[in-house]
Amino acid sequence: MKKFTLVCLALVLVPLMAFAQGQSDTAAKESGPVTLTIWGRDIPDTAADHIYVHDLIEGFQKANPDIKLEYIPLGDPGLADKTKITMAAGVDQLPEIVQSWGGSVMGGYADAGRLLDLTSELASIPGSKAASDAMSWKGKTYGVAPFFAVAGIFLNEDIFARNGLKAPTTIVEMEAVCDTLLAKGIQPFACGAKDKWPALAMYMYLVNRYGGNAFDRAQARTLSFADDAFVNAAKTYQMWVKKGYFGTKPLGEAYGDAQQQMAIGKAAMMVTGSWMCSQFSNKEFTDQKIGFYAFPVVTGGVGKVTDVMGMTDIGFFATKNAEAKKDAVVRFFKYAMSVEACASEPGRICAVPGVPAKAELTGMASKVFAASQSVQFWWDQDLPPAVTSPLNDTIQSFFLPNSDVASSLKAFEELVIDEMGPVKK
Amino acid sequence: MRTGFKLHRAHYGWIEVFITIILVLFALTVIVPMCLPLLFVFKTQLEYSYDPWSLPKHITVKNFLEAWDAIKIGEGLANTLLVSLGVVVLAVPCAALAGYVFARYHSKVTEVLFYAILVCYFIPIQMVLIPLYKFNIKLGLSNTLLGLILPMAAFNIPFWVLIYRSFFHTLPKDLGDAACIDGAGHATTFFKIMLPLASPATTLALLLIFIAAWSDYFLSLIMLNDQKLFTMQLRVSQFLNAYGVDRMPRYAAAAIISMSPTVILYIIGHKWVIKGTLAGALKE
Amino acid sequence: MVQSIQIFDPIKTKKTAKRNRAIFVSLCIFPSLLFLVMFMYYPIVETFRLSFMKSSGLGQDRFIGLDNYRKLFVSEEFRAGLVHVLTWAFWSIVIQLPLAFFIAFSLTFYVNRVSKPMRAIYYMANIMPSAITAMLGKFVFSPNNGILNNLGNQFGWDWLSNMDFLGSERLAFWSVFAVATWAYTGFPIIYLMARIEQMPKEFKEAAELDGVTGWKYAWYILLPNLVYPLRILAVLCTIGSLKLFDLPYMMTTGGPGHATVTLGISLYRQGFINWQYGRASAIGVIIFLLSLIFTIIQFSGKKEAA
Repeated sequence: MKKFTLVCLALVLVPLMAFAQGQSDTAAKESGPVTLTIWGRDIPDTAADHIYVHDLIEGFQKANPDIKLEYIPLGDPGLADKTKITMAAGVDQLPEIVQSWGGSVMGGYADAGRLLDLTSELASIPGSKAASDAMSWKGKTYGVAPFFAVAGIFLNEDIFARNGLKAPTTIVEMEAVCDTLLAKGIQPFACGAKDKWPALAMYMYLVNRYGGNAFDRAQARTLSFADDAFVNAAKTYQMWVKKGYFGTKPLGEAYGDAQQQMAIGKAAMMVTGSWMCSQFSNKEFTDQKIGFYAFPVVTGGVGKVTDVMGMTDIGFFATKNAEAKKDAVVRFFKYAMSVEACASEPGRICAVPGVPAKAELTGMASKVFAASQSVQFWWDQDLPPAVTSPLNDTIQSFFLPNSDVASSLKAFEELVIDEMGPVKK
Repeated sequence: MRTGFKLHRAHYGWIEVFITIILVLFALTVIVPMCLPLLFVFKTQLEYSYDPWSLPKHITVKNFLEAWDAIKIGEGLANTLLVSLGVVVLAVPCAALAGYVFARYHSKVTEVLFYAILVCYFIPIQMVLIPLYKFNIKLGLSNTLLGLILPMAAFNIPFWVLIYRSFFHTLPKDLGDAACIDGAGHATTFFKIMLPLASPATTLALLLIFIAAWSDYFLSLIMLNDQKLFTMQLRVSQFLNAYGVDRMPRYAAAAIISMSPTVILYIIGHKWVIKGTLAGALKE
Repeated sequence: MVQSIQIFDPIKTKKTAKRNRAIFVSLCIFPSLLFLVMFMYYPIVETFRLSFMKSSGLGQDRFIGLDNYRKLFVSEEFRAGLVHVLTWAFWSIVIQLPLAFFIAFSLTFYVNRVSKPMRAIYYMANIMPSAITAMLGKFVFSPNNGILNNLGNQFGWDWLSNMDFLGSERLAFWSVFAVATWAYTGFPIIYLMARIEQMPKEFKEAAELDGVTGWKYAWYILLPNLVYPLRILAVLCTIGSLKLFDLPYMMTTGGPGHATVTLGISLYRQGFINWQYGRASAIGVIIFLLSLIFTIIQFSGKKEAA
């Protein structure tokens, strides 16, 4: 019995004794040179789409030996989940800098007082307005976005040339192109609707081309999301799905599958963000010649070809935990926005002036961005988080064979009313 | 016992053959999907995109080399071992003791306590993460391996209490009673008689808890902040998540590399489980 | 204990025995209980508390009574999730458990050169992390690269190549369920095998002397003795289905539409993506209560005559 009591005691005591150790560990962290911890998405290796992060970390470290960078890559759902939970627990455990797309998610953290206001410190950094807007919330800037992405049409130039087609500039032309392609047995659009969010890009454009600034008004609650502008765009979208513009199994196709259909010339067009430039200009990924064009307009419609949808491609914000290390953080942000750091990135649109696009495809995308007169932030980064995943669900439902788009949009509007209030008269 | 089998082998005849064939077919459905990636990990991205399921024309090991370089298998091995062993050492004895009492010492109080422990199994892990993380901070355990081991052990305990309870439940009741009358104390009865009889449960618990702790991702991701403390699984996920499923051949190569330690561990451990179950049976 | 041997007062001995028993029982339960009270009770209480709050998880919680629950029961996603997990639990009990019983019985009854390595194989699928299981599932079911659709194309079987395993509302649930059966049946098999091994060997010998072999042995001797383990497996299947999250989430994100949404997916989306932490907590509470109810129902049936 005595031996047994000892076993039980040990089971309880061992963990308790180790507490002390745990506590002494955290105390030791504060001394030494300034350390900046960064939570990022990609691993900093030399693959084409990671090269910027790689150069940023290495270059900054070399230029600033007095600051120690601790870069921790966390990957796709990892970064978001870990940030969310750590934010929920307060400020102390946060890293100094977190990679982010800005927008409403960052805004939520800002509202909760977890972020460091750097408005005056970052004001002098040159860069595109759309990109710096993305990293701002309620008039305050919390970070930088060296790269910005716009949505447009990637299209397979070889297929178009072979079939005597040219890049459509109006919706009517686009439908004609699709019908020709279908007749030849080529899937007109690759989408990736299985993952839900990829289907949003085309819908944002359809709403804009049919209804102009309908989204702005709906967000400002002067228009309902069940309004005709949204319903008509959805009906067009649904009609295209039914005609087979997105292939025979649009809902089984994930975003990765869609990229692959493009890469091997089985699909002719893909409406998505310009972050795909690096893949689509990579000879190891595709042997097709792919171009990038602005989304066509409706003849006589409200939306203009210079209205583009965009979002942060790579961005960082600073947390409240960095308050004591403000200088170091600002130095890092300035370096992130320098020509030197951005120079080697092949496939993203750079928000920093004076960085030429390395790949031809990236150049085409940059041109669309440069020509834009208004940039609408990607809806699911702009609306409050509470309604963004229902938004993507709603759009996926347009692909379902028996869905009634008007009632889906109405259900979505009810949710929006819950979160953002009813439409003001 | 073994000779018994040999004596009666002849009886089964064609039924045994038939059932064995069915078993082999089922086993193939388990194994074949695991081998599917072998068809394309040796292809380039483009070859895969065009024709994923044909036999590779020439073997490209580039995917493996790149993945191998990036994953750096073995990094974080010490952390992983520490965590897995810690969880096993804490969870298995706790679960065995509690499971034993719940199976053999029935009373109103133990019944209530059993449910008090079991309810902890009812709550999904995503739900407890935020409070658990806050609690760890209060204890000063955030960002330490101990802060990962303790909750992970807590997660495993209810399930294995239930399993242990079921194993002790079926042991003949008079066995323990007889020992008690002979003057053996409760603890002696448990350690000398009952625990060896439940050794199939113990071997299962040791192996499965170890593997579960070894391959944990979500809890480790939340509880550890410092790259120095990252476990192997976490490091592997850093690579896998960064490349994503879009770059399939390379992703699959990385997945195969990352899985190999677990599979080897399992194969070694499983032999030991079979031995364990036989040992338990022979003692009877 | 040393004292109790020396003093021969029968009443006192009885008292000491009772006390010893009580000490033993509490010492056995204490470590587990301590762990769980420390690490699980606070989160559980917190979940209950937050389920009555409007909360983003970032502070500024506001009490809103039963609003979260009311909202859930009118939400299509939640109702779909509830129906799916109950269907899932039903089918996993009806399909996975008999399958596991058959395999466990065959592997332990017909011991030969083939069956030994197969014991190892059957649990193998269970040790894969769900990310890998989901990836393998996609190799089988996805439309362009999936092996099934490709086989259909290869042999000109249109019925097969036209099947949209992950993209049609009718099929997606079953595709995910098939992958889950592949991955999760390992545990019932290994558990039942261990239980069968633990049985006294006289069972089998006596049966063989009476000429009861094969399926008769499985049905009349093994099965009645495995009622209690099977009941536990049924409980585990039910709770597992109620909490089910990662496999369907990684394979289909709950889509198309709400065709593969589970309560676990709904909880994750509400809590981590929609920042409706209060509503996620309400789902947590519902999962908790349903698990409790099903467990009590399962265990309150007549106790096994061991």
